[in-house]
Amino acid sequence: MSELDPVIHAQARLRVVAALSALPEGDQLAFPRLQEILGMTAGNLSVHLRKLEDAGYVEVTKTFSGRTPTTLVCLSRRGRLAFEEYTAAVRALLPPPST
Amino acid sequence: MTPIDEDPPPPSPAESLRMIAEQREAAERQLSPDPLVYHGPWGVAWLVGFGVMFLRHGPGGTVLVAMPAWLPLAVLFTLLIGAAIVSGVLAGRTSRHVRGRSSVQGAMYGFSWFVSFAGMGLTLQRFDDGLSPPNVGLLWATVAVGLTGALHMAGGAVWQDRLLFGLGVWLTLVNVVGTALGPGWHSLVISLAGGAVMLLLGLVLRRRPAGRPNE
Repeated sequence: MSELDPVIHAQARLRVVAALSALPEGDQLAFPRLQEILGMTAGNLSVHLRKLEDAGYVEVTKTFSGRTPTTLVCLSRRGRLAFEEYTAAVRALLPPPST
Repeated sequence: MTPIDEDPPPPSPAESLRMIAEQREAAERQLSPDPLVYHGPWGVAWLVGFGVMFLRHGPGGTVLVAMPAWLPLAVLFTLLIGAAIVSGVLAGRTSRHVRGRSSVQGAMYGFSWFVSFAGMGLTLQRFDDGLSPPNVGLLWATVAVGLTGALHMAGGAVWQDRLLFGLGVWLTLVNVVGTALGPGWHSLVISLAGGAVMLLLGLVLRRRPAGRPNE
């Protein structure tokens, strides 16, 4: 049995990845909106995003909207794939349905 | 498996899947427009607007409820403008802080409503002098409803939303039926089979868990 990806198999990061996976491919979400959806503190979310970015699962783009700096976040292709693999692996660990 | 930090792993595989489902649903609900706010105002505008139109300008010019002749059109227009404002605000709120492909799609789609209806307004006036007043009314209504049906089908194609596409097909169909029945009846058909159906659709979708077909 393969091991579960430790980057995703952690409660807070799993929620971050799951929320970002709901975003259609090609879209990016601004940091405050992601924070609002997850109900996490900015500091906590930053820490987890950094770890996901280091793993290559999340792309973080810093840009400007007018004069305000904005941080845009999305799952990378690799992150999407890792999430799909994680979901499949977890599903395989479920006890078979009793008949 | 060794955790990489103090973020604890989910207690069980079942719990992992439950967290994924819950978080995805919450994100989808917040990132897609509330179906009742999306369809409701248009449903009410059509139900009431075309309903009042039918009561004042009924089949064969029958006046079912006495009221000034200009009132139905004023009611319909006011409600339609209200619905357009609600839709615009809703679109703005939903796409807040989202960048990329879907915000471009949304902006173009919204703009296509504005452009096509402005085009309709600018062209149909040309025919006002050649038709009897009931037929002028029917012409405007039938083109407006037909355009709405077509734009809903296009929206369904853009977001791969079968219900929105189906609504477009349905509106096109009832528009054909109503137009075949003639002035007066068209208003009744559009009020009930168009307006009431949109309102119901919004209510039914509101009760279902959110879900984007184009994951």
